[in-house]
Amino acid sequence: MIDTAREADVHVDINGRSHHHRVPVRLLLSDYIRDVVGLTGTHVGCEHGYCGACTVMVNGDAVRSCLMLAVQAHGADVRTVESLTADGTALSPMQQAFHESYALQCGFCTAGFLMTLESVDPDDWRDRTVELLSGNLCRCTGYQNIMAAVERAWGIERAGSRDAAGVGGEAHGDG
Amino acid sequence: MSCLDPPINISEHVRHSTRYVGRSLRRREDRRPLTGRARYVADLQLAGMVEAVVVRSTEAHARIVSIDTSEARALDGVVAVFTAADLAEVASFPDYIDYIGPVRQRPLAEDRVRYVGAPYAVVVAADRYVAEDAAALVAVGTVFEPLPAVADIDQALAAGAPKLHDDWADNRSVDIGAERPEITEAFRRADHTFAETFTSQRQTGLPIETRGVVADPSDGVLTVWSSTQSPHMVRSTIALMLGVPEPQVRVVLPTVGGGFGTKTHIYSEDIVVPWAARLLDRPVRWIEDRMENLVASVHARDQRHDVEVAYDDDGTIRAVRCTSILDLGSGEIFMPGTAPVFVTNACITGGYDFPLMETRTVAVVTNKTPAGAYRGFGIPEGALVMERVIDRVARLTGTDRVGLRRRMLLRREQLPYVMHGGGRLDSGSHAESFERALEMAEASLARIREQHADDPDTRVGVGYSNYVEPTSPTYHLTTGHWAGYDASTIRVDPDGSVRVAAGLSAIGQGAETIAAQLAADALGVAADDVTVVLGDTERSPYGLGSWGSRGAMMLTGSVLMASNRLLDKARAIAAHMLEAADEDVVVSDGAFHVVGSEQPSVSWSEVATAAWIRTVDLPPGTEAGLETSGYYDPPYLEHELDASGKINAAASWSNGSHVGIVSVRLSTGEVKIEDYVVVHDCGTVINPQLVDGQIHGGVAQGIAGAMYEHFQYDTETAHPLFASFMDYLVPTSAEVPRLRLDHFESPSPDQPLGVKGCGEGGTIGPPAVVTGAVSDALAEWGVDLTTCPVTPVSVRAALRAAQSRAAAEREQP
Amino acid sequence: MKPSAFDYARPRSVAEAVEALGSTEASRVLAGGQSLIPAMNFRLAEMSLLVDICDVDGLDTVSCDAAGVRVGAAATQTRVLDDADAAQAVPGLRATLRHVGHLQIRNRGTVCGSLAHADPAAELPALALASDALIGISGPRGRREVPAADFVTGPFTTVVEDGELVTDALFRRPPSGAVTVVDEVCRRAGDFALAGLVAVVEAQDGAVRTARLVGFGLRGVPTRMRNAEDVLAGWAGDHSIEAITDAVAADTTEVFDDTHAPGWYRRDAVTALVVRTVRSVLESHEAP
Repeated sequence: MIDTAREADVHVDINGRSHHHRVPVRLLLSDYIRDVVGLTGTHVGCEHGYCGACTVMVNGDAVRSCLMLAVQAHGADVRTVESLTADGTALSPMQQAFHESYALQCGFCTAGFLMTLESVDPDDWRDRTVELLSGNLCRCTGYQNIMAAVERAWGIERAGSRDAAGVGGEAHGDG
Repeated sequence: MSCLDPPINISEHVRHSTRYVGRSLRRREDRRPLTGRARYVADLQLAGMVEAVVVRSTEAHARIVSIDTSEARALDGVVAVFTAADLAEVASFPDYIDYIGPVRQRPLAEDRVRYVGAPYAVVVAADRYVAEDAAALVAVGTVFEPLPAVADIDQALAAGAPKLHDDWADNRSVDIGAERPEITEAFRRADHTFAETFTSQRQTGLPIETRGVVADPSDGVLTVWSSTQSPHMVRSTIALMLGVPEPQVRVVLPTVGGGFGTKTHIYSEDIVVPWAARLLDRPVRWIEDRMENLVASVHARDQRHDVEVAYDDDGTIRAVRCTSILDLGSGEIFMPGTAPVFVTNACITGGYDFPLMETRTVAVVTNKTPAGAYRGFGIPEGALVMERVIDRVARLTGTDRVGLRRRMLLRREQLPYVMHGGGRLDSGSHAESFERALEMAEASLARIREQHADDPDTRVGVGYSNYVEPTSPTYHLTTGHWAGYDASTIRVDPDGSVRVAAGLSAIGQGAETIAAQLAADALGVAADDVTVVLGDTERSPYGLGSWGSRGAMMLTGSVLMASNRLLDKARAIAAHMLEAADEDVVVSDGAFHVVGSEQPSVSWSEVATAAWIRTVDLPPGTEAGLETSGYYDPPYLEHELDASGKINAAASWSNGSHVGIVSVRLSTGEVKIEDYVVVHDCGTVINPQLVDGQIHGGVAQGIAGAMYEHFQYDTETAHPLFASFMDYLVPTSAEVPRLRLDHFESPSPDQPLGVKGCGEGGTIGPPAVVTGAVSDALAEWGVDLTTCPVTPVSVRAALRAAQSRAAAEREQP
Repeated sequence: MKPSAFDYARPRSVAEAVEALGSTEASRVLAGGQSLIPAMNFRLAEMSLLVDICDVDGLDTVSCDAAGVRVGAAATQTRVLDDADAAQAVPGLRATLRHVGHLQIRNRGTVCGSLAHADPAAELPALALASDALIGISGPRGRREVPAADFVTGPFTTVVEDGELVTDALFRRPPSGAVTVVDEVCRRAGDFALAGLVAVVEAQDGAVRTARLVGFGLRGVPTRMRNAEDVLAGWAGDHSIEAITDAVAADTTEVFDDTHAPGWYRRDAVTALVVRTVRSVLESHEAP
């Protein structure tokens, strides 16, 4: 007879550290990461797989952590936004590009965008950035500066584009 | 201050080599959210904290017969289950506005529910999973006796309609309007008239972070972290309703994941969660989930406009009558959601010189989620009406659409201009912005037309919007209580560091960064030396929060007021130390010296050390300390209607022009925005990058309303047809086109530094632009859209109707 | 939005999975979970036992042979999308999967899971019908194979019975030289379609030789559009489209209404998709 249970032992590597907990099998991976492990950089925005705020990497792939049970991540290698920058160190090039392009306002969706971007090879998606990012909702930026940040970080030239204004910059949009 | 004083400016005694205002200083807010280390309300972990889940009505309109909570209470892990009976000692939400129907909202529904989603019980449990199990048991244990439901405006106004509030005469919360004899006369004299009805659909603000409240009763202070736009107002309301002295309530804003108006309201959970935490004597957390958010946070828009237009053969629009009717939902929300429909009518004429407007303002209650604030606050609805009316008149009279707009647009020499409802447009670039937008769109319009010229299945069209955006409005018409100032307290610490604490809250717009830019310029220090504190009622002065495109102006006014006072005192201290006359002392790059010579100098740190520590160094008779507050109450901002019913309800008025180009596929009705141009004018710009960001986000939300989002209800049962993102269509990166922006800067002559505001403008244009552009594309069939969202289905429906009209005409010539 | 409680099993073989599924009445199969877990979070799907088949030996394979591409029940959509051999053998797989969800969904969601879920607006069940797929099902009475035409019986309903699970699907190679086009009308990128079309078209000398058309998002099950197929045989894009419109109308007498679109719209849209698909095939065929 195969074992069935309401609770299960879960072994997960998160950002290079191994975690071992006994959890209810109904616990979502998003809640496991946030409430059990305590990494709250992964945000929960809809819990039905549409907003992408909870995007993390599981074995290198971007996934919705609200659409996975923690028990399904048993044995997996998980990466969250906290892995992109150690405390006190420099931002990653993509994070820096987000900062310089003003690609975040309230910041709630940002981790999801960053993890989606982190999970892919830029060369596979360079020509399809809009499609790549269409699985993450942002309500603040209208995606304009997120696209600009990706272009900045990946060195994509956009016809007629002008770099977003930085300190001292007088540029004022594309006008 | 009086209206006659010159506007507040940076002190002439600052001779700073670096000026921050006007530059795209990068945001200081960014690092924590970029690295996953920001703390939103759901991220707080407190020892002993338990989780609350709200049990919500599954009926649109019903009497609550009984609630059996015994099974829920018996569940392992459940701490408590509360219903309205447990909250008898808690006061009702106040009904401050005297001219609308009072709803006497209880924190939990007592004996009757009026919308699906209405809160009537709360479960507190060890975790959210168990709490949801228990909430399901409470739901099963609840007996409702359904009442007839009111699902829309027509049903609400029908004779004999079921009433939501028994002691009201009918379902109208408010109905205000007066005939104007000059309008009647204009209609009599006009060559033609027509009547049309326009509608704007129900939407919601939809921050990606839902609402949430954590309350901690320990240490004798009730500390409440709430994802809100107005922490001080939340504090006052908690204190009032729970009967706790205000100093014993502390409301702290965690990082807030967007608000867009929905978080200006004070909700049941803002009261019930702190109440439960006190009763249970332990921290309680409630985090709204998305299913709740879609029915339990306020909705908006949902207006109908019955319009009559009088016009002449040459395209002159002589007069317009507009009855605007808002579907208020159940009305059970604090503050009430009635104000946007007043704003619709007040702002309906946009950037046009059009005084002959007669309006009637109606709000009706229905068995739907309460309507309230959402970015744009009634203005997009009115802009849609006005632009569609202009296009219709142009079409009926064979007048050029652009030319007609040019004839009507306000010119600089007409400013200040008082609108039909009393709005005082102090400044702006209404005509110039439109010309600039046309110029920016000209080449791409030609290119896009060329691109599609050979495709028989595609048509191209262009749409326009010229709007005004009231900024820093009064809150008195909205709340019946609060009015319109905001505050900053500035302190210079002994090491010379500057601390700005403001009543404004931060919900993602970069308020901390601009506060630092302003204070640095005003005090002659580096922006990096300025620490900004926002959104904590213990650390910030009382303020009204962030809404109404007021952040920039309110920060500018209050920071400059406080800074200038502080600077006067600091200069007196420095003059004493320099043995110079006060009036000769200036500050530059963090140091005070006599004008014309950099040395000798004293630093801000030396002055502040004298003020706080070495008070022996102060000039005789000088009070210790180096801290002061500015309470900025903008001139020209009015809070009550005058005898003729008019009011200038905003401190200043930004303006903008949008031009959008669409392609429409005839066979499927698919609409693509090919190009979108925005020219915006919000007066003096403090941080260009932040202003652009506000416009980007606003336009994206406007496009959402123009083409995608529509919260639908069953027209018989008043049940929501859905509560998920599968059906409430928030645009993704694939739906929002690249936007092209340009700016004018027409400073407000009356407000500090000429700053106006820019939070909502972007949202206003798109519904008018998209309906106008699609109607233009389909003009050969006479299609003339009157409602949003414009969808493949609505476009095909319009084309089919036009084709069957044409067929009928062929048969009966 | 948290699932209600359930037991969980992670079998290692199909036999174990079948045994687990049969051990209780309210058992459900979990593969990628990209449709099931949202339903669980809404508490629209509740079960006493969830049988996770992702560790079942041999179910995560994608293999190509002369017949076509056989996709195991645990193989993700991304896995199939990225498989060059599969794309070569059955080009419709890649063309279809590009329309399915978003990257993050495809990274977990499975091809067979989408077939078993049988959403009327989903692309993969339509592709299965268009490519005469054979769906492998295992249960207490052993293994059976069901042609796609018999597999979906209604909206969200298939021939898979309680206690059974889909183990694999064989997508057959199209006729050599045929072009597979997948097109749809959606409100937003990645959404389910208001109307969609999978077309496998053979063209010769500037005219259609054969067309196999499957519409989706039209009614409860994918719709084979035989009248339109007949009209298109021999069509060279040079005369009136009214015949196509009439044929599509005859093929879509049962279109459904819902909050997203009324039936008449779905019919209009799929007619347009048929026309633009065939035109584009003919155009690309003409091109050197």
